[in-house]
Amino acid sequence: MSHDYSTSTFVDQVKAIPGGEFVELCYSCGTCTSKCMIQQKIEPEYNPRRLLRLVMMEMQEEAFESPTTWMCSECDLCYPACPQKIHISGVITAVKKIAVENGSKTILKTAVVDQQTCVACGLCAEACPYKAITIVDAKVPYRGLIKVAKVDPGLCMACGLCSAVCRSTSIGIPEEYSDESLVNNLWDWLLPQGVSI
Amino acid sequence: MVDAARQPLIDVRAFTEVEKVEGFVGNFKVTLREKAKYVRADRCNGCGDCAKVCPIEIPNYFEMNLAPRKAAYIPMSQSVPLIYNIDMDACIHCYKCVEACGPLEAIDFSMTDKIVEEEIGAIIVATGFSHFDPTPMEEYGYNRYPNVITAMEMERLNNSAGPTAGNLIRPSDGKNPKKLAFINCVGSRDKRYIESCSNFCCMYSIKNAVLLKQMNPAFDITIYYMDIRTPSKGYEEFYDRARQMGIHFIQGRPALITEDPISHNLFIHSEDISLGKVVEHEYDMVMLNQAAIPQPDQNHMSSVLNVAQSPGGWYMEYHPKLRPMDSDRWHIFFAGACQGPKDIPSSVAQGSAAASRASRILHSDRWQIEPTVAVVWPDRCVSAEGKACGLCERACPYGAVLYEKGTAAEVITAKCHGCGACVAECPHDAITQLHYTDAQILAQIRALLATEPHKKILALRCHWCSYGGADLAGTSHFEYTSNERGIKVMCSARMDADFIYEAYRLGAGAVLYSGCHPQDCHYITGQIVGAKRAKRLETIFERLGMTPGRFRVEWISAAEGDKYARVLNEMQAVLDAIPEEELLAEIDRIKPDVTKRLTRLPNIPGVQAAMDHSDVMVKTILMKEKVA
Repeated sequence: MSHDYSTSTFVDQVKAIPGGEFVELCYSCGTCTSKCMIQQKIEPEYNPRRLLRLVMMEMQEEAFESPTTWMCSECDLCYPACPQKIHISGVITAVKKIAVENGSKTILKTAVVDQQTCVACGLCAEACPYKAITIVDAKVPYRGLIKVAKVDPGLCMACGLCSAVCRSTSIGIPEEYSDESLVNNLWDWLLPQGVSI
Repeated sequence: MVDAARQPLIDVRAFTEVEKVEGFVGNFKVTLREKAKYVRADRCNGCGDCAKVCPIEIPNYFEMNLAPRKAAYIPMSQSVPLIYNIDMDACIHCYKCVEACGPLEAIDFSMTDKIVEEEIGAIIVATGFSHFDPTPMEEYGYNRYPNVITAMEMERLNNSAGPTAGNLIRPSDGKNPKKLAFINCVGSRDKRYIESCSNFCCMYSIKNAVLLKQMNPAFDITIYYMDIRTPSKGYEEFYDRARQMGIHFIQGRPALITEDPISHNLFIHSEDISLGKVVEHEYDMVMLNQAAIPQPDQNHMSSVLNVAQSPGGWYMEYHPKLRPMDSDRWHIFFAGACQGPKDIPSSVAQGSAAASRASRILHSDRWQIEPTVAVVWPDRCVSAEGKACGLCERACPYGAVLYEKGTAAEVITAKCHGCGACVAECPHDAITQLHYTDAQILAQIRALLATEPHKKILALRCHWCSYGGADLAGTSHFEYTSNERGIKVMCSARMDADFIYEAYRLGAGAVLYSGCHPQDCHYITGQIVGAKRAKRLETIFERLGMTPGRFRVEWISAAEGDKYARVLNEMQAVLDAIPEEELLAEIDRIKPDVTKRLTRLPNIPGVQAAMDHSDVMVKTILMKEKVA
């Protein structure tokens, strides 16, 4: 789905997407940032207040590059705390949507489908909390025109739920959080504990 | 306060409630309930012996419930008048106080509430404000963590006449704190609780911080704020002084307070926006600056006084800039925070202004009001014939119309503000408004629609908003259709359905029904009366099969000149879209129905003559133009 934003500014675009309507109510009190678990546990550069500020100041490029745009897990801890009742994760999702439509790529390692083994059972699509997976028709080498799962990298948050539910090991997060490396990690921990196969 | 009590012309009635306010400007009749104090004012000398012997101890409201008081008490040490009072809800009737009082015999348990009626010339309401209770804000843990207190509680702890004689201690262990934090905007500027800014708390928290710092320079004091607002004279300098004294200011709204369960120390989590970092600091005690809210019984008082309330519950002033101390009823005035949160200088200024306003009426025998008041023709009122009606009384926002079945309705001229709601609502046309009579307005409509009425747009505008909007559209040179013909009435409530029927009977192309936005109405609820009627008319015209857009209802404020121009241009576009013969056919189709609704019109005194005269005048003018 694409929108025609040709005449509107960045903040208008964000406001046009449901969830982003009230971005301009923000008076930068910082409650969201001090509530945020991602900011405190994962990425110190992550700052929802600053992203809302970037949107209001029309700083589109900076907003697309900000880790805040890509790392929000929509846990909505900040939403009930916001004194201006802004749905902050809604704003962030709106920014992300525009960023993806403008060709920006997520900084997260999103889920990848192995089309050679996917059986299009739809378990992953059902499990995905971000509705990032759809079953589509695709031309797959050696298999012809078949139905396979497809991941929308703009929506995927790399949580790995799809990988956990997949019965044919056809979907997963690459590299660091792939099934293989997670199992290896587990063994690296188990073996020194004296566990033998 | 003591001076006021001593002044012979000032009568202080403490412990008295206003029950009923009747009457009008200069002639208010106020019913007061003088509550029983169980102590005779003429005998009590304020010695306090009764309180000394009283065995009952209950929380002291004045000390923010941090200290006890007796059942025989005075609210505070500076009470005026200094007369003791027995709290009957707490009293156990041991009569020790009676013994202690001895030969004075001031205590009288047989006293009851007294109802007193007073003749009053003008009323000044100065009921003040109340505090937001921060308990629902779970993130700050008020009432859960002992060392989170409100700024008002801190004020009592820090007061030399307070429960600790000025020794600031932590409620958890009674030790003196070292690191203190104030949190501003607790509940205020918050869409979940109180949306508005409480006006004075920035200065209030700086004052408290400076006071504490002066008392003990070793205190480490931090103020958490979202914005510091120091708009008045000398305030910014005071803020500078506070920073120079070493008080820390952190811009950032705390999201969470946590507590160490053993030491009961508190941790405030917030973003320091200037640093761009999330910070966590430890404090011994945290003070919350709560929002100011209206008094809990403000809704009740507003209905007793019959004055309007603004969003948020404060009393509504007549005009926010030009008449901030007047209510919408004549000679009921506001002073201080009951009208909206304000600091001491503004309260004093408003109080003085209200007093001088009130003294005008007290010093004059006559009072002038606007001449556009409503008048009843008693012979036309059906109530006089014993029929039930009362529409006029229900329409009046001021309670100025008295209706009783069996007698003709009566308008109290001194209470009437001249909106014309009763005039337009009366189904029997038994009321008229001076200077805006049906005859005058109908004559105007006839004159404006004399030639080519199907091309004309008749715009009914209210005096305060839409007329101003039309004026602004003109002075701002917003272009709009030249087919507009405007008529001014005082309020959208005056826009009688007859006017609109008559316009369509004469073949008007379109009619605009415009007035104030509901919250801006200058006649409290006049717009609501008008809006109800407009809605009724819309359904009627829809049923008659009128093209949508030929009757339009719009609420346009005096600042919305652009909207006025846009609405009229849109209406013109609606008319342009209908081919002329179709429009004329539609007008003819609707005409019999609207004519049927107007059969009573010529019976209204003066209407037939005015319409005839108007027709003659129009003919004369047209003839003159032809000759020229």
